[in-house]
Amino acid sequence: MKSLKYILAAVLLLGAATVNAQEDSWTKYGPTNTQTNAGFIVRAGYTFGGTAPMPVPAEIRSINEFSPKGGFNIGLDCYKMLSKRWGISAGWHFFYEGFHTSADVKGYKMELVQEGNVMAGYFTGCDVTNTDAWGMNIPVLATFRISPRWNVSLGPYFTTYFKTSFDGEVYEGKNGQGYLRVDDPTGQKVIIDRTNPATYDFKDNMRRWNAGLELQFDWKAMKHMNVFAQLDWGLANTFEPDFKAVAFKMYPIYATVGLAYRY
Amino acid sequence: MKKLLFFPIALLSLVFTSCSEEPANMECDIESVSIHFDNPELFFDVVDDTLKSVATSADLTYDTDSIGFKVKTKAVVGSYGLTIATTPGATVYFVEADGSVSPYRNGTPVDFSDEKIQVFRIVSEDGVWHRDYKICVVHDAVSNLGHRIYNFSFDGNYSLYDPNKTIDDKGNYFVWQEVEENLVNDIFGSESWKCGNPGFKLSKSSAKALEYPSVPCFGEGPDGTDCIKLETMDTGAFGKMVNMRIASGSLFTGYFDVANALKDARKATQFGVAFKHKPVKFSVWLKCEMGAKFQDKAGKAVEGVVDEPDAYVVVYRNQDENGNRVLLDGNDVLSSKYIVGMARLPHYYDYEEVDGRTVRHDKLSDHGIHGVTNEWQKFEMDVEYTEELDDDLLANNGYNIIIGFSSSWQGAYFQGAVGSKLWIDNIEIECEK
Repeated sequence: MKSLKYILAAVLLLGAATVNAQEDSWTKYGPTNTQTNAGFIVRAGYTFGGTAPMPVPAEIRSINEFSPKGGFNIGLDCYKMLSKRWGISAGWHFFYEGFHTSADVKGYKMELVQEGNVMAGYFTGCDVTNTDAWGMNIPVLATFRISPRWNVSLGPYFTTYFKTSFDGEVYEGKNGQGYLRVDDPTGQKVIIDRTNPATYDFKDNMRRWNAGLELQFDWKAMKHMNVFAQLDWGLANTFEPDFKAVAFKMYPIYATVGLAYRY
Repeated sequence: MKKLLFFPIALLSLVFTSCSEEPANMECDIESVSIHFDNPELFFDVVDDTLKSVATSADLTYDTDSIGFKVKTKAVVGSYGLTIATTPGATVYFVEADGSVSPYRNGTPVDFSDEKIQVFRIVSEDGVWHRDYKICVVHDAVSNLGHRIYNFSFDGNYSLYDPNKTIDDKGNYFVWQEVEENLVNDIFGSESWKCGNPGFKLSKSSAKALEYPSVPCFGEGPDGTDCIKLETMDTGAFGKMVNMRIASGSLFTGYFDVANALKDARKATQFGVAFKHKPVKFSVWLKCEMGAKFQDKAGKAVEGVVDEPDAYVVVYRNQDENGNRVLLDGNDVLSSKYIVGMARLPHYYDYEEVDGRTVRHDKLSDHGIHGVTNEWQKFEMDVEYTEELDDDLLANNGYNIIIGFSSSWQGAYFQGAVGSKLWIDNIEIECEK
């Protein structure tokens, strides 16, 4: 008898909730504080991606390996809805991101400067790169509610890096060729292969900041819980402007998927 | 939701798979060239010599754009076809004496009589780059047998590698070219003394000619004339990148294959030139100053070891039992089983039995016994033979001679002390036949 009462109560409640969701879901999945229409979101997610030239130049013949390192992004956003559909948010995110890649290149123009000595020319072979970055992102986004449970946000972000690394080695590619032509394609050929690969470390040539666009999708799984995915597309070259070892500009492009808690 | 997750992944994979069409080759090298004789044995001691693999040919001169086929002294030379293999996609042109250019088809006879130098232009697949190669057929010089002494005084026989640049320009270095007729005919041919300077240039582009490991010293010889100084130097950040932290100063007869210098420096240092005489005595004036800190390949200081200079003459058989070419390199220059005679500054050694042969290993020590000091001294060493030379082989270029010097005797293994210096002057090689 007792249990029947509980079951009945549960069914009633559920029914009420369903009715509520249909009639009132814009409110339910909206800002938790209906007075101010503002609040906080704490986000935590898994980050993956890489630093890549855009578009990929013809000198890069094939990507042999690409494996993002397990990165993460945690942060706090504060938002305010200005109307039923439109709002703004600003955030403060900490992240670690990185990747490992190996690519075959052909006639890749490079210039290395170390302690006042220059090694310049055209490299053909395989280039293995490892990169890591610890940093902080400040996004300022405009938010649009597509539906009660879906938000999309877009806006600029600014990054400062606490610590970055960009290193690797070069040796022969899949076709067995690995060499530098010093200065120009008719210059001295210097063979570089796995028996004695050349290593490099460009951490001192990396920009301490970046800026780009963030695109974010939120799906409100529960009243307080979001599932989100975001893409941070850096628009500034990852290297300092006078750096010529890498002939093309490279941009950090990282995605994050995770959970968020809405206050 | 699924779509949502895949969006960034799809975008990234798009970025990384959008490789465009392969660019045309920019290089325009002759990779190998062979010359066609109906009776190659009338022209060459070793028939393999009709083919030259340009990347590794030991007969190429300093500037690798010259290719010479050395034929027997009495061979009568006419017109022969060449087979030229180039960088894929490149085109071969024949350059006439008047500068006009026409496409060259492999096999077309080219006039090599009277030691004519013919020019071939290789144009890259992309059409932007080209290289001009000089190809010729040269006669092996006549050598008068009998007792003789070869002298090397290093007086004024140096010049700048790039004559268009000055001694104060970065990236220029000294080369030594013997001009005395007997030396040219009997030892050097069109080649010169070899040293590690071109390799050092790769790591230290900012160095000027007098900041290289092998340099001339003007008026500093024991007789007040010029001499040569070898110095072990730090190769800086680029040297470290390839785990070659030091470059010892060197001077030797042979060939330095810069293309393979980073891949395998010892193999790239190829020792010896054909010689028709039997050296019996090696004398030279030396003085040295050894650097304070002996370091290992990783750059770590090794306590209780002093650096030592090295000087040697080696005679070896340049063909194996099957008639294939033998060329000693940095790995076996002083230990090969093909060595028949040697004179070397004294050092400590360890001995090991390998396949019934006693192999001698260099032994590091805290005091050298080479006897070279910071005062000029004349050193005289007998060339000690383990077998008698074969007269026929000797007359037919079957033996090579190495005259070698180093400011750090373990420099080939990138061990030594930065700042070790060896001054050399007035080398004499006395030959019995």
